[in-house]
Amino acid sequence: MITSRSFLRGCLTLIAALSLVSCNKDDGSSGGAFSGDAASRVYVAPGQKDEFYSFVSGGFSGQLAVYGIPSGRLFRVIPVFSVDPEKGWGFTEETKPMLNTSHGFVPWDDSHHPDMSQTGGVADGKWVFINGNNTPRIARIDLTDFRTKEILEIPNSAGNHSSPFSTENSEYVVSGTRFSVPIPQEDISITQYSEKFRGALTFVKVDKTSGQMDIDFQLLVPGFDYDLARAGKGPSHDWMFMSCYNTEQANTMKEINASQNDKDFIIAINWKKCAELAAQGKGTIMNVDYAHNVYNDATHSATSTIKKQIRILTTADIKGALYYMPTPKSPHGCDVDPSGELIVGGGKLATVIPVMSFSKMLKAIESGKFDKEIDGIPVLNYKDCLAGEVVRPGLGPLHTEFDGKGYAYTSMFVSSEIVKWSLKDFKVVDRVPTYYSIGHLNIPGGNSTKPWGKYVIAYNKITKDRYLPTGPELTQSAQLYDISGEKMKLLLDFPTIGEPHYAVACPADLIMKNSRKMYQLKENKHPHATLKEADTKVVRSGNDVHVYMTSIRSHFSPDNIEGVRVGDKVYWHVTNLEQDWDVPHGFAVIGANNSELLIMPGETCTLLWEPKRAGVFPFYCTDFCSALHQEMQGYVRVSNGGSGQVTWNKK
Amino acid sequence: MKTTIYSRLLGLAMLLVTTVGFVACTQDGGDKKEEAPSFMETQQEKKTYGKIQNVEVGSTIDATMAKSGKEVFEMKCTACHKYDERYVGPALGKVTERRTPEYIMNMILDTETMIENDDTVKCLLQEFMMKMPNQSVDEKDARGVLEHLREHAATGK
Repeated sequence: MITSRSFLRGCLTLIAALSLVSCNKDDGSSGGAFSGDAASRVYVAPGQKDEFYSFVSGGFSGQLAVYGIPSGRLFRVIPVFSVDPEKGWGFTEETKPMLNTSHGFVPWDDSHHPDMSQTGGVADGKWVFINGNNTPRIARIDLTDFRTKEILEIPNSAGNHSSPFSTENSEYVVSGTRFSVPIPQEDISITQYSEKFRGALTFVKVDKTSGQMDIDFQLLVPGFDYDLARAGKGPSHDWMFMSCYNTEQANTMKEINASQNDKDFIIAINWKKCAELAAQGKGTIMNVDYAHNVYNDATHSATSTIKKQIRILTTADIKGALYYMPTPKSPHGCDVDPSGELIVGGGKLATVIPVMSFSKMLKAIESGKFDKEIDGIPVLNYKDCLAGEVVRPGLGPLHTEFDGKGYAYTSMFVSSEIVKWSLKDFKVVDRVPTYYSIGHLNIPGGNSTKPWGKYVIAYNKITKDRYLPTGPELTQSAQLYDISGEKMKLLLDFPTIGEPHYAVACPADLIMKNSRKMYQLKENKHPHATLKEADTKVVRSGNDVHVYMTSIRSHFSPDNIEGVRVGDKVYWHVTNLEQDWDVPHGFAVIGANNSELLIMPGETCTLLWEPKRAGVFPFYCTDFCSALHQEMQGYVRVSNGGSGQVTWNKK
Repeated sequence: MKTTIYSRLLGLAMLLVTTVGFVACTQDGGDKKEEAPSFMETQQEKKTYGKIQNVEVGSTIDATMAKSGKEVFEMKCTACHKYDERYVGPALGKVTERRTPEYIMNMILDTETMIENDDTVKCLLQEFMMKMPNQSVDEKDARGVLEHLREHAATGK
C-alpha cells in the first residue's frame, strides 16, 4: 500500500515538473500551470460587470467597438464612418447628413485611432475622437449615449493617419496627413513630388462644454508622410510631437525608396504659439471645401454644412514654433511618458528605441545649434535631444504605452512581442510573445498622466492558428496581459471587429454614471415628432406622403394606411413613445431599399420608402419588445393611380 | 422506501408552493366595464406596494394640477389607455373610484414593484398580457395625472 502511494506521489511530482517545463517554454496556449489563475483573472461572473471600458478602433470597418476588460466581451459597435443598416446609420433621413463630405455621400472609411477627451492629462470619459483615414475626417462620439455626434472633414489632408491625438485638456485634436499632395490640388505630374507636394497638419479646436470641433489653423510643412502624434503634458503641455517618414520624398516604391535615410524626424510643434499667431491673424485664408456634420440631440437629426475657408500658416509665418528632431529609421509611434519629459520614437526599422528628452530639446533650441534647415524648419541634433536608447529591444518597435510605475511597454511588430523597459535606465526588464505581429498596444490611461497600469492589451495584425478557422479571412484579435507584477502574464485572447488599430480604455465608473437611459419625450424637438398617439396622422404633399407614427408596447399608430400610390415617396416618421430603459422599437417595411429603423425611447427616426408595385404590404417591429411583439405590425395599401387621398385608422 | 417518502414530500411541497404562488383572480379584475367596484376590490386593507405609501388628496379638485396632469396623461399614457373603453390596458375614466391614490401613484412611479407584488396587478396582467411600461414620470407629474383622473371621474372631462 505505502509503496504504491509513494510511487503515485512520485509520478505526480514528475507530471507537475514536466508541466512546469512546458509552461516555461510559454507556447502561449491556455494550458500549463497558470491556466486556472488566468481564467479567474478574466472571469466576470454572470450579472457582474467589467472593470474597464475599452474603445477599440474598427479599422477598415470604419466603426468603433466597445469592449469590457478584463472579460474581452463585445458590448456594442458604434457606427461612425460606415453605414450600418442595423442601426439605420447613414440610411435614415436624420443620419444621412453625417456621412456627407466635399466628395458627396461617403458610406465607408478606415478608422484607426480612438482618443478620449482629457482634463488635466487624464481621460475624462466625455468623448472619444477617432480619425477617418481614407477621406480625411475626425469624428466625435458622445459617451453618454455612445453615438457619433459630429464628423469634421479635413481639407488639404490626403490620409488622416496622424490623428486625432488630443492635447492635455482637449484644447485641440490634431490631424497630420499621411500622404502629401499638391496644395491646393492641381493637375501636375506625380514626379513633381519633391517640389510641389506639401503636408498639411491641422489643428482642430474643441469646445470645452459642447465638444464641438472647428478647424482653427492648418500648418503647411514639407511633403513627408506624417504618421502618428502625441501631445505633450505637464512641462511639454504647449507642444505636439508627430513622427514622419519618407523624408526622402519618394513618390514610388516607398517600401524601398522611403527607407533610405538613416534618420527621419519627429516634428515638435509649439501649438500654443501657433494658436496665438493664428489668433493675431498671421498667415492667410485659403478657399477650400470641407463638410462639418453635426448631430443635434434635441431634433434627433444631423445637418451637414460645407465650409469654405481655413487659416493657413506656412513655416515662414511661425518661425520658432516648429523643429525637426532626427529619429532613427522611419519612426511610427511617437509617445510621451506620463511626466511629459520623454518622447519615445518607434523607429520601425531601427535597432534601438530612441527616447528623446523634452528639456534637452528646449536647451538645443536655446543654443541655436542646428544641423540644417528644411523649408525654414531647424533640424536639431539627434544626440543633443537624446535622453537615451533602449538597446536590443527586439525587432520592429512601433508603439509605446506607460504603466505609471516607471515602466514603458513597446510593441515589437517583427519579433511579435511586448517589451517592458525601465524609464530610469532604458534597460529591458521583461518581454512576452504576442500571437502574432502586434501593432498597437494599450494600457488603460497609458497615454495619459495617470495610467491605470493593471493590464496591457495587444492589438495584433495576424491570428493565423489561434482560433477556429473561418475560411481565408480569419478573425482579428486582441490579447490581454496582466502587468500588475514584475512579469507580464498572458491572460486572454479575444476576437475584435475590422482590424484593430489603437484603443483607449478607462475605469467603467467614469462612464457608467453618465450613461443615458432614454431621450425625454418632452425634449423631443424633431420637426416630424408625434408626441402623443392622438396626433398620429398621414399627410400627403404632392407625391410625398408623411406618416406621423408612434410606437409603444406593442402597437404602431396608425397601423392601417391606404391611399399611397406607386411612385410616391413615403416618409415614415416614427416616434417611440416609450420612456423606459432598454425598450427600443424597430420598424421595417417590405421592399425598403435602405434599412430598418431602430428607434430609442423618446426618439424620432425617419425611413424613406418608395413602393414600386400595387398591393397591400406589411410593416412590423423588428426589436422584440413584449409578449405581444409578434402582434406589433400593420398594413399599408399601395394603389396604381387613384385619388391618392390618404386615410388611416382613426380611433 | 426512503426515496418514495422523499418524493412524496417534495411533491407536496411543490404543490404548496404552486398554490401559494398563484393568485386567485376574479374575472372582474380586468376592468372590462366601468361598473361599480366589486366586493373584492373594495377590500382596502391590502398592503401598499411601491415607494408611495401615503397620498393626500383634497376634497375638491386642484384644477391647475389636473390641467398639467392631463398633458402628461396624453403624452405618456393615452397610447395604451382610454377613458371609457378597454384598449391595450384597462379604461381609466373611473379608475379613482376603484383604486386607491397610492395604488395609482405607484402604478405610474414604481410600475415594476407593482407588477411583481400587487395581487390586483398580477390579475390584470393575466388578462391583458402586456406589462405596463414604466414611462419615467416624476412624482409631481404622477400626482398631476392622479388629479386629472380624479377630475375625469367626477366631471367626465
